[in-house]
Amino acid sequence: MSVEEQIRDIVSRIAHVDKGIITRESTFKDMKADSLDIVQALVAVEEAFDIEIPDEEAQKFQNFGDFVSYVESRAAKKDEA
Amino acid sequence: MSFEGKLALVTGSGRGIGRATALKLASLGCDIIVNYFRRRETAESTAKDIQALGVRAEVVKANVGDPAKIDEMFDTIANRFGYLDILISNAASGVGRPIMDVDVKAWDWTMDINAKAFLLCVQRAVQLMEGRAGTVVSISSLGSRFVWPTYAAVGVSKAALEALTRYLAIEMIPKGIRVNAVSASAVNTEALQFYIREGYVKDSKQTTPAGRMVTPEDVANVVAFLCSEEAFMIRGQTIVVDGGTSVAPFIPGGQEQA
Repeated sequence: MSVEEQIRDIVSRIAHVDKGIITRESTFKDMKADSLDIVQALVAVEEAFDIEIPDEEAQKFQNFGDFVSYVESRAAKKDEA
Repeated sequence: MSFEGKLALVTGSGRGIGRATALKLASLGCDIIVNYFRRRETAESTAKDIQALGVRAEVVKANVGDPAKIDEMFDTIANRFGYLDILISNAASGVGRPIMDVDVKAWDWTMDINAKAFLLCVQRAVQLMEGRAGTVVSISSLGSRFVWPTYAAVGVSKAALEALTRYLAIEMIPKGIRVNAVSASAVNTEALQFYIREGYVKDSKQTTPAGRMVTPEDVANVVAFLCSEEAFMIRGQTIVVDGGTSVAPFIPGGQEQA
């Protein structure tokens, strides 16, 4: 499963939203995710990929695609290390 | 006051009150387990400062809102040390919303981290404190007794924490373990910045009779005292550290001091 698919699964489970409507352009508002959903999604993704996502970075995510790209780059760096 | 040769677990000690408490206990000779949830960097910085005081510091990650992670944390402590003398239940979170917007998820998140975690941590800690005259201190907040905007879920969780502190204090007597709580008003930490940004808290200096905001160190000093033998006869109490705010709500801050 790709990073994107794994994150889509996590967000869909936490925000109780159908996976089908989550595209890379979807904002957290589109996904009906409130602030707690976002925190829980960050925690779940951090655990799934064994990375840390600083809140300052998370605040820059404009949409689902930004979230995925950030995790992909962190996961890649981790693989190199 | 000395805690030489003793070991303390301070949950949520990367920053704020937890960090100040960890450093205070360390300055009195205590080895410290620094627990954190999401920011390893801050926890490692606390650990480094503790080690500089000449005692041992270990960093353990755990989301105390998750019972399985609490178990993992205590398994780690049991394996590495096999004992524990002091538990400071400080880690806290919460959802700041008007009551009508507090849904099941927000309620559970807040109660799990602030109240249920205390129960589960004590249950595991007690096993490691056998024969060691252990002490437990929970960190509460004045929001358990007073109403602050959007603070309902957290306030109720802190009321549960204080009630549990009283029950534990009595039930733990046969095990030689002392249990108390420290409750603070608005403390100058990162967490408070949220409430200031949202406009719910003004500069507390103006409303604190003692003339300045409560600092994490003010709270840490009282926690350390409660852990000491000098506090032997204090059981199940919630000690308030608020510069007089709760007893004099209508008296402006900054009274002249002799």
